[in-house]
Amino acid sequence: MNFSILHTDKLCKTFSNGGVQQHVIKNLDLEIYKGDFTVIMGSSGSGKSTLLYALSGMDKPTLGNVYFGEEDISNYSNDDLAVFRRNHCGFVFQSIYLLDNMNVFDNVMTAALALQKNSPQLVKKTEELLKKVGITEEAWKKYPNQLSGGERQRVGIVRAVINEPQILFADEPTGSLNSASSSDVMDIFTELHSKGQSIVMVTHDIKTALHGNRVIFISDGTVIGEYEMPLYNTDDLKKRREGLQNFLDRMGW
Amino acid sequence: MGKITRLSLANIKKHKFEFISLLTLVMVCMLLVGSSLGAIVGIRNIFTNVMEKTGSYENYIFILEKNYNKEYENILKQHPEVETVTAVDTLWSMNTGYIDKNGKESALYMAFITADNEAKISKSPMDSTLSNEEIAALEHPIYAPYILQDSMGYKAGDTFDITYGTRKFSFTIAGFYETMMFNEMGSGLKMIVSEKDYHILSGLLPKYKAILYNDNQGQGGYELMDSFLEECEDYSRLDIKSGLVVFTYGDMKLMVTSSAELLLNLMIVMAVIIFISVVVIIRYRIANDIKEQIVNIGILEALGYTSKEITLSYVIEYLIMAAGGVLIGTGGCFLLTPVLLRMGELISAHRGCGNSNPLMIFLTGIVILVLVGMTAFIRARMVRKYPPVQTFRKGQGDHRFGREFFPLRKTKYNVHLRLALKGFFQNFKQNIGLTICITISALTVVFSFIISSFFGDGLNTIASISGIEMSDLRLEIMPYADGDVLADELEEMPEIRKATPTSGFNTLITISDFNEIMLPVAFSSFDETENIFPMEGRFPEHDNEIMLNNQIATVKKIKVGDSLTLEYLNVKKSYLVTGIVTSVTNGNMNLYITEDGMKRINPTYKPDVIEVYLEEGIDAQEFRKILTEKYGRSLSDAASSKAENGTYEERIRAEAEQQIAELMASNGATHIEYSIQFGDTIISGNSSNFVVSAITNIGEIMRTQLGSSCTAIRIVTAVFMVISAVVVMIILFILMESAIRRDRREFGIMKGLGYTSRELMFQLACRIVPSAVFSVIIGTVIGVTMTDLLTSIIGVVKVNIPQVIVLDIVMLIFCFVCAYVGARKIKTISVYELMTE
Repeated sequence: MNFSILHTDKLCKTFSNGGVQQHVIKNLDLEIYKGDFTVIMGSSGSGKSTLLYALSGMDKPTLGNVYFGEEDISNYSNDDLAVFRRNHCGFVFQSIYLLDNMNVFDNVMTAALALQKNSPQLVKKTEELLKKVGITEEAWKKYPNQLSGGERQRVGIVRAVINEPQILFADEPTGSLNSASSSDVMDIFTELHSKGQSIVMVTHDIKTALHGNRVIFISDGTVIGEYEMPLYNTDDLKKRREGLQNFLDRMGW
Repeated sequence: MGKITRLSLANIKKHKFEFISLLTLVMVCMLLVGSSLGAIVGIRNIFTNVMEKTGSYENYIFILEKNYNKEYENILKQHPEVETVTAVDTLWSMNTGYIDKNGKESALYMAFITADNEAKISKSPMDSTLSNEEIAALEHPIYAPYILQDSMGYKAGDTFDITYGTRKFSFTIAGFYETMMFNEMGSGLKMIVSEKDYHILSGLLPKYKAILYNDNQGQGGYELMDSFLEECEDYSRLDIKSGLVVFTYGDMKLMVTSSAELLLNLMIVMAVIIFISVVVIIRYRIANDIKEQIVNIGILEALGYTSKEITLSYVIEYLIMAAGGVLIGTGGCFLLTPVLLRMGELISAHRGCGNSNPLMIFLTGIVILVLVGMTAFIRARMVRKYPPVQTFRKGQGDHRFGREFFPLRKTKYNVHLRLALKGFFQNFKQNIGLTICITISALTVVFSFIISSFFGDGLNTIASISGIEMSDLRLEIMPYADGDVLADELEEMPEIRKATPTSGFNTLITISDFNEIMLPVAFSSFDETENIFPMEGRFPEHDNEIMLNNQIATVKKIKVGDSLTLEYLNVKKSYLVTGIVTSVTNGNMNLYITEDGMKRINPTYKPDVIEVYLEEGIDAQEFRKILTEKYGRSLSDAASSKAENGTYEERIRAEAEQQIAELMASNGATHIEYSIQFGDTIISGNSSNFVVSAITNIGEIMRTQLGSSCTAIRIVTAVFMVISAVVVMIILFILMESAIRRDRREFGIMKGLGYTSRELMFQLACRIVPSAVFSVIIGTVIGVTMTDLLTSIIGVVKVNIPQVIVLDIVMLIFCFVCAYVGARKIKTISVYELMTE
């Protein structure tokens, strides 16, 4: 039985600009299940990133509610949301957003120490994770501008998972990467998912979306379709791709 | 040029708060320097103007009338520097007082002169709002120096009650006038009274002959005066130096403007401190702004703007800010300068300031503009370091060789503190500027605090370094009275805790090694004293030992263990210096000696003053009346009393006592006997009951002389502390705002990672803590050292270290709170906006 970790109730998000209101999310009801790799897809301007940030407590909804478990986080103050994020969420961004004034190791430790006290275990864990994503010891003291895009994103992933978040949010994690780097990054996501990590990812790339097991398609601020896939397996990739493509075609992709 | 100005204006529009803050600082700076420099010239002219207006003599010597000889004037005239000489009769006493408007009696030195004699020494007109008829109708008219009107609030027609002993003389103020001498509370006030009143007063107050002379604007100085006095003593064989009061041209010039000038100089120092802060902030802001806008700068460069033009846009931006500040400040200067000039008049107690000097104000403005422009230009030239390609990489160079500070893997305690320290070292260069600003401000605060507490403790601190006994009552006794016997008698009284015989002002002795006239402070044993503390060495115990005040010891380089020769009426004896005393009274003349030591040089010496210390809770003024009852009235009381009631014999005795008193006061008689027969009755008596010649309260005198100065100093130092605090606050607000703007992206990312706004504000505030701690420590050390250096001439001024430490902690908390509050803009950083930009 699927266990809901996050759900929304008539979620609305409206932006105002010069008196003109733009309703980006409209009365959206959605459930995110524990252990799922949920992929949110949609055309440009459909509101998928806005939905991700509303779900993750990066932004507050205009109306409606977001529940984390039984807890309504939509009325949290900004500081409460920050505490919520560090306790429960991890983030991977398209622009990566590493701290330019810190080296690789400190970038990860900054996130880790926001929640945990320093310990030899934490340092060891950071080292292991970095090694695992292919960031070698020589690169630990490098600064973000001395890394390639792929390396930076891998550091970003380590930073996102160092606190073992209940949900990992990813906004176009491969958007700024080349094909090889994208593949590496998505392999890491797949591995994390296989170990039970709940992931919510926004993407417009089918190849990336194939790594998920549940695809939600939104259009004009509402969910118009949902597609479920078995766990990612490279053996049935062709069939998996066809299935997703058909779904997307039906959604008007 | 237009496009560059547009860039500058756009930048100003974007950072309004910082623009207004800096403009305010420049304005305050302009206001302080401009108005001080504008007023200082006028204040320096006071002396010349008053001398010219009053036609005053340049030097004054007040000799006790009994020591005066007409030949002295001829002796003085023989000196080639002397141009003109005159001598007039005056009365002067340190034991006079007045009843203030609240009915409270306060000590106030006063000199008295008749209008005719005043006309001989000055051409100052009398200024009165009363008509000639009204003045003529006054029974006891009195003309007072302007200070009575300007600082004490009296006006013509007001009653002015003068006290002497337990006697009160009621005068009506006929008007005010300008006088060079005896015009302020410190030296006393010279009052012009009618011939009749002068005659009455002359029966009570010490009579002086004032010898006045011009020596071509102070050319003779003290050398001429000393040599003249020596010649007079040689001529008369009298100790004329005892009871002598002198003022040279140099003394007067210094007295007139030094306090006001000191205040203005302090204002300039404050302004310089603010300006240094402005320079630091400008440098910091430009550096931050360039880093923040580096991509835009790259785009401008790519579009063809030269780095010189971009640099110029910064210069224009800050010149606009400085011009705004200078313009408003200049306007303020024209309002503040007349206030300062008036304040200068009030402080110097003279009317006669020159006008403000607009040229100085305009020059100040130009100098500020030039310095701001130069600072902005030098800092903004860093734009040249960034070619377009590098600016697109946000200024990052090809390599990074920077040292890694505080790696997070070594975090032991609080991650926020570690991140703050990391941030501190990453911005180390900029923190140097901040450190300089806070150091200067801390130095000002600590120095002001020490001075403020020194003058603010109800005169107790000053009393502790006065170098004289601060008894409750000081009894001057008649020459024939036995001080020791009287002291023993007094100690029997239950109200008196202690009565200690000592020396008065009647004997002056000379240190012949460097021809310095000193006032001996003699006690049979210094163990009996309560307010004389050797800062070095010990009390004199034997008849060949003395202690010196610190000023004379410092100036003449005398140390404990040195030997000095004292001279009194051609008798010379050698003494060993056993100690140095902190002493700020009696014009650095105090010399401490035992009674036996005094007798060694002056065998006829005996104590002529008794310091009376009352039991706790006894009112000194009330007890003064009891003393009068018990020992008969003081001479001053007796000489004026009117026995209109009582028996015939009582009235005879009262009249006889008045006669005795007048004879003793005016002729210096030491013992008088009388016998009066009427019918079969013989009434006889003598002067032996007149043992007290005057009773004074030193504390009261100090309060009158120093009270207003202490209040003024407390106010000035408090203003300095507030200005320093405001400057620090503005600096920190600007620095925090700039830091947030520069690191906006980093703070946004950290918010995304789950750091709360409060945690980030805390981190940012903690970044300034190392600078603040270092600055406060350095500021305190310099402040305390500076105070020590400045006060070393006085002696040991004890700095209350625990209080200073508490002040330091308060300053640190203040800095932290300002930084924390200044960092509140972190709250406005939206993670979402950052992520989606």
